[in-house]
Amino acid sequence: MKRRTLLKASLQLGLAGVILPQAASGAYPTRAFLAKEIPDVLRTAFGTADIGASDQIEIDAPHIASDANMVPVRIKSGFENTESIALVVAGNKSPFTAFFKLYESQSFVSTRIRMSDTSDLLVVVKADGVLYSSSRPIRIGRNGCGA
Amino acid sequence: MAGSIKIRAYDIDGQVTVKSIINHPMETGQRKIKKTGKKVPPHFIKEVIVSRNRKIVMEAFWGKSISRNPFLSFQIPGRKGDTITISWLDNRGNSDSATAKVR
Repeated sequence: MKRRTLLKASLQLGLAGVILPQAASGAYPTRAFLAKEIPDVLRTAFGTADIGASDQIEIDAPHIASDANMVPVRIKSGFENTESIALVVAGNKSPFTAFFKLYESQSFVSTRIRMSDTSDLLVVVKADGVLYSSSRPIRIGRNGCGA
Repeated sequence: MAGSIKIRAYDIDGQVTVKSIINHPMETGQRKIKKTGKKVPPHFIKEVIVSRNRKIVMEAFWGKSISRNPFLSFQIPGRKGDTITISWLDNRGNSDSATAKVR
Protein backbone atom coordinates (compact mmCIF):
# COMPACT_ATOMS: atom_id res chain seq x y z
CA MET A 1 0.00 0.00 0.00
CA LYS A 2 2.70 2.40 1.04
CA ARG A 3 4.74 1.56 -2.01
CA ARG A 4 1.74 2.28 -4.20
CA THR A 5 1.16 5.75 -2.79
CA LEU A 6 4.83 6.58 -3.03
CA LEU A 7 4.94 5.45 -6.63
CA LYS A 8 1.86 7.47 -7.41
CA ALA A 9 3.23 10.57 -5.73
CA SER A 10 6.53 10.40 -7.55
CA LEU A 11 4.76 9.85 -10.84
CA GLN A 12 2.58 12.88 -10.32
CA LEU A 13 5.58 14.97 -9.42
CA GLY A 14 7.42 13.86 -12.50
CA LEU A 15 4.46 14.57 -14.75
CA ALA A 16 3.79 18.01 -13.38
CA GLY A 17 7.42 19.05 -13.84
CA VAL A 18 7.14 21.06 -10.68
CA ILE A 19 9.84 23.63 -10.05
CA LEU A 20 10.55 23.43 -6.36
CA PRO A 21 12.40 26.23 -4.61
CA GLN A 22 15.36 23.94 -3.78
CA ALA A 23 16.05 23.58 -7.45
CA ALA A 24 16.15 27.33 -7.97
CA SER A 25 18.85 29.91 -7.43
CA GLY A 26 19.25 29.51 -3.66
CA ALA A 27 19.98 33.22 -3.50
CA TYR A 28 18.24 33.79 -0.18
CA PRO A 29 19.55 37.13 1.14
CA THR A 30 20.24 35.84 4.67
CA ARG A 31 22.42 38.77 5.68
CA ALA A 32 19.82 41.35 4.72
CA PHE A 33 17.24 39.55 6.83
CA LEU A 34 19.62 39.53 9.81
CA ALA A 35 20.60 43.22 9.61
CA LYS A 36 19.06 45.39 12.33
CA GLU A 37 19.53 48.99 11.18
CA ILE A 38 18.04 50.43 8.01
CA PRO A 39 21.37 51.58 6.44
CA ASP A 40 22.84 48.12 7.16
CA VAL A 41 19.81 46.44 5.65
CA LEU A 42 20.08 48.51 2.49
CA ARG A 43 23.83 48.00 2.22
CA THR A 44 23.62 44.23 2.61
CA ALA A 45 20.62 43.90 0.33
CA PHE A 46 21.49 46.40 -2.38
CA GLY A 47 25.14 47.33 -1.86
CA THR A 48 24.33 50.94 -1.03
CA ALA A 49 22.37 52.84 1.60
CA ASP A 50 22.07 55.87 -0.64
CA ILE A 51 18.84 55.30 -2.54
CA GLY A 52 16.96 58.19 -4.10
CA ALA A 53 13.29 58.75 -3.33
CA SER A 54 10.79 58.45 -6.15
CA ASP A 55 7.12 59.34 -6.52
CA GLN A 56 6.65 56.56 -9.08
CA ILE A 57 6.13 53.96 -6.38
CA GLU A 58 2.59 53.67 -5.12
CA ILE A 59 2.18 52.25 -1.64
CA ASP A 60 -1.34 51.29 -0.75
CA ALA A 61 -1.59 50.50 2.95
CA PRO A 62 -3.83 51.55 5.78
CA HIS A 63 -2.91 54.78 7.61
CA ILE A 64 -3.89 53.09 10.82
CA ALA A 65 -3.67 49.30 10.91
CA SER A 66 -6.01 47.63 13.37
CA ASP A 67 -4.13 44.31 13.41
CA ALA A 68 -0.35 44.60 13.65
CA ASN A 69 0.01 40.95 12.63
CA MET A 70 -1.80 41.45 9.35
CA VAL A 71 -1.12 44.75 7.68
CA PRO A 72 -2.18 44.54 4.05
CA VAL A 73 0.16 46.30 1.63
CA ARG A 74 -0.12 46.77 -2.11
CA ILE A 75 2.86 48.03 -4.05
CA LYS A 76 2.66 49.37 -7.57
CA SER A 77 5.77 50.43 -9.38
CA GLY A 78 5.39 53.05 -12.08
CA PHE A 79 8.62 51.99 -13.80
CA GLU A 80 8.42 50.02 -16.99
CA ASN A 81 11.23 47.55 -16.37
CA THR A 82 10.75 46.80 -12.70
CA GLU A 83 13.20 44.06 -11.72
CA SER A 84 12.53 43.75 -8.03
CA ILE A 85 10.44 45.10 -5.18
CA ALA A 86 11.63 44.98 -1.57
CA LEU A 87 9.70 45.74 1.61
CA VAL A 88 11.49 47.05 4.67
CA VAL A 89 9.67 47.80 7.92
CA ALA A 90 11.76 50.32 9.83
CA GLY A 91 10.39 49.50 13.27
CA ASN A 92 10.78 45.72 13.20
CA LYS A 93 13.63 43.86 14.89
CA SER A 94 14.55 42.46 11.53
CA PRO A 95 13.44 45.22 9.16
CA PHE A 96 13.98 43.38 5.87
CA THR A 97 10.60 41.82 5.26
CA ALA A 98 10.25 40.62 1.71
CA PHE A 99 12.07 40.68 -1.57
CA PHE A 100 10.25 39.99 -4.83
CA LYS A 101 12.25 39.30 -7.96
CA LEU A 102 10.17 39.92 -11.05
CA TYR A 103 11.19 38.24 -14.28
CA GLU A 104 8.55 39.49 -16.69
CA SER A 105 6.85 42.80 -17.27
CA GLN A 106 5.33 43.04 -13.83
CA SER A 107 4.82 45.99 -11.55
CA PHE A 108 2.43 44.95 -8.83
CA VAL A 109 2.69 42.82 -5.70
CA SER A 110 0.52 42.62 -2.64
CA THR A 111 0.89 40.75 0.63
CA ARG A 112 0.27 41.04 4.37
CA ILE A 113 3.04 41.92 6.78
CA ARG A 114 3.68 42.09 10.51
CA MET A 115 4.65 45.33 12.20
CA SER A 116 5.89 45.44 15.77
CA ASP A 117 5.10 49.11 16.15
CA THR A 118 4.03 52.28 14.40
CA SER A 119 6.76 52.95 11.86
CA ASP A 120 7.64 53.63 8.25
CA LEU A 121 7.24 51.08 5.51
CA LEU A 122 10.12 51.54 3.10
CA VAL A 123 9.77 50.17 -0.40
CA VAL A 124 12.82 49.78 -2.62
CA VAL A 125 12.28 49.19 -6.31
CA LYS A 126 14.93 48.30 -8.85
CA ALA A 127 14.13 49.28 -12.41
CA ASP A 128 16.54 49.27 -15.34
CA GLY A 129 19.34 48.63 -12.86
CA VAL A 130 18.59 51.76 -10.83
CA LEU A 131 17.32 51.74 -7.24
CA TYR A 132 14.41 53.91 -6.13
CA SER A 133 12.73 54.15 -2.78
CA SER A 134 9.54 55.40 -1.24
CA SER A 135 8.19 55.25 2.27
CA ARG A 136 4.90 55.56 4.08
CA PRO A 137 4.20 55.81 7.80
CA ILE A 138 1.79 53.19 9.09
CA ARG A 139 0.25 53.54 12.53
CA ILE A 140 -0.53 50.49 14.58
CA GLY A 141 -3.86 50.77 16.32
CA ARG A 142 -3.41 48.15 19.01
CA ASN A 143 -0.55 46.18 20.53
CA GLY A 144 2.33 45.21 18.26
CA CYS A 145 3.59 41.73 17.61
CA GLY A 146 7.32 41.92 18.31
CA ALA A 147 8.49 40.68 14.90
CA MET B 1 1.99 19.88 3.63
CA ALA B 2 0.02 19.02 0.56
CA GLY B 3 -2.93 21.20 -0.25
CA SER B 4 -1.58 24.21 1.59
CA ILE B 5 -1.91 26.61 -1.35
CA LYS B 6 -5.04 28.18 -2.77
CA ILE B 7 -4.70 29.95 -6.10
CA ARG B 8 -7.12 32.07 -8.08
CA ALA B 9 -5.98 33.50 -11.40
CA TYR B 10 -8.02 35.72 -13.67
CA ASP B 11 -7.35 37.14 -17.11
CA ILE B 12 -8.42 40.77 -17.16
CA ASP B 13 -7.73 42.41 -20.53
CA GLY B 14 -4.57 40.42 -21.22
CA GLN B 15 -3.23 40.93 -17.71
CA VAL B 16 -3.37 37.99 -15.33
CA THR B 17 -4.13 38.79 -11.71
CA VAL B 18 -3.16 36.01 -9.34
CA LYS B 19 -4.32 35.83 -5.75
CA SER B 20 -3.14 33.11 -3.44
CA ILE B 21 -3.17 32.09 0.17
CA ILE B 22 -0.71 29.64 1.70
CA ASN B 23 -1.62 27.91 4.94
CA HIS B 24 1.46 28.22 7.09
CA PRO B 25 2.03 29.14 10.77
CA MET B 26 4.85 31.62 9.98
CA GLU B 27 6.24 31.49 13.53
CA THR B 28 8.64 34.35 14.19
CA GLY B 29 10.49 32.68 17.04
CA GLN B 30 9.38 35.53 19.31
CA ARG B 31 6.00 34.21 20.39
CA LYS B 32 5.85 32.64 23.81
CA ILE B 33 3.51 29.98 25.06
CA LYS B 34 1.93 31.62 28.09
CA LYS B 35 1.75 28.50 30.27
CA THR B 36 5.36 27.45 29.94
CA GLY B 37 7.01 30.74 29.02
CA LYS B 38 8.88 28.93 26.27
CA LYS B 39 9.38 30.55 22.90
CA VAL B 40 7.88 28.86 19.89
CA PRO B 41 10.77 28.10 17.52
CA PRO B 42 10.79 29.99 14.21
CA HIS B 43 8.98 28.30 11.37
CA PHE B 44 8.45 30.41 8.30
CA ILE B 45 8.43 30.34 4.52
CA LYS B 46 11.72 31.53 3.07
CA GLU B 47 11.15 31.26 -0.60
CA VAL B 48 8.18 31.27 -2.96
CA ILE B 49 8.48 30.57 -6.65
CA VAL B 50 5.81 31.38 -9.18
CA SER B 51 5.90 30.05 -12.69
CA ARG B 52 3.63 30.49 -15.67
CA ASN B 53 3.62 27.66 -18.19
CA ARG B 54 6.65 26.21 -16.38
CA LYS B 55 8.70 29.37 -16.77
CA ILE B 56 9.62 31.26 -13.60
CA VAL B 57 7.98 34.67 -13.47
CA MET B 58 8.56 35.60 -9.86
CA GLU B 59 10.77 34.61 -6.98
CA ALA B 60 9.99 35.89 -3.51
CA PHE B 61 12.26 35.76 -0.47
CA TRP B 62 10.43 36.18 2.79
CA GLY B 63 11.43 36.80 6.37
CA LYS B 64 9.57 36.35 9.63
CA SER B 65 7.66 39.61 9.20
CA ILE B 66 5.23 38.11 6.74
CA SER B 67 1.85 37.41 8.31
CA ARG B 68 0.57 33.97 9.26
CA ASN B 69 -1.18 32.17 6.39
CA PRO B 70 0.52 34.46 3.88
CA PHE B 71 -1.51 36.20 1.23
CA LEU B 72 0.24 36.89 -2.03
CA SER B 73 -1.17 38.70 -5.02
CA PHE B 74 0.51 39.90 -8.20
CA GLN B 75 -0.06 40.67 -11.85
CA ILE B 76 1.75 39.05 -14.73
CA PRO B 77 1.34 39.03 -18.48
CA GLY B 78 -0.59 36.04 -19.75
CA ARG B 79 -3.93 34.84 -20.93
CA LYS B 80 -6.81 32.53 -20.16
CA GLY B 81 -5.75 28.87 -20.06
CA ASP B 82 -2.19 29.50 -18.88
CA THR B 83 -1.05 27.41 -15.94
CA ILE B 84 0.20 29.13 -12.83
CA THR B 85 2.31 27.14 -10.40
CA ILE B 86 3.21 28.38 -6.95
CA SER B 87 5.64 26.53 -4.73
CA TRP B 88 7.18 27.36 -1.38
CA LEU B 89 10.01 26.22 0.84
CA ASP B 90 10.25 26.93 4.57
CA ASN B 91 13.16 27.07 7.02
CA ARG B 92 12.57 23.45 8.07
CA GLY B 93 12.84 22.18 4.54
CA ASN B 94 9.12 21.58 4.09
CA SER B 95 7.68 22.51 0.75
CA ASP B 96 4.53 22.35 -1.30
CA SER B 97 3.32 23.40 -4.69
CA ALA B 98 0.02 23.89 -6.45
CA THR B 99 -1.08 24.61 -9.97
CA ALA B 100 -4.10 26.48 -11.27
CA LYS B 101 -5.40 27.46 -14.67
CA VAL B 102 -6.02 31.10 -15.51
CA ARG B 103 -9.73 31.74 -15.86
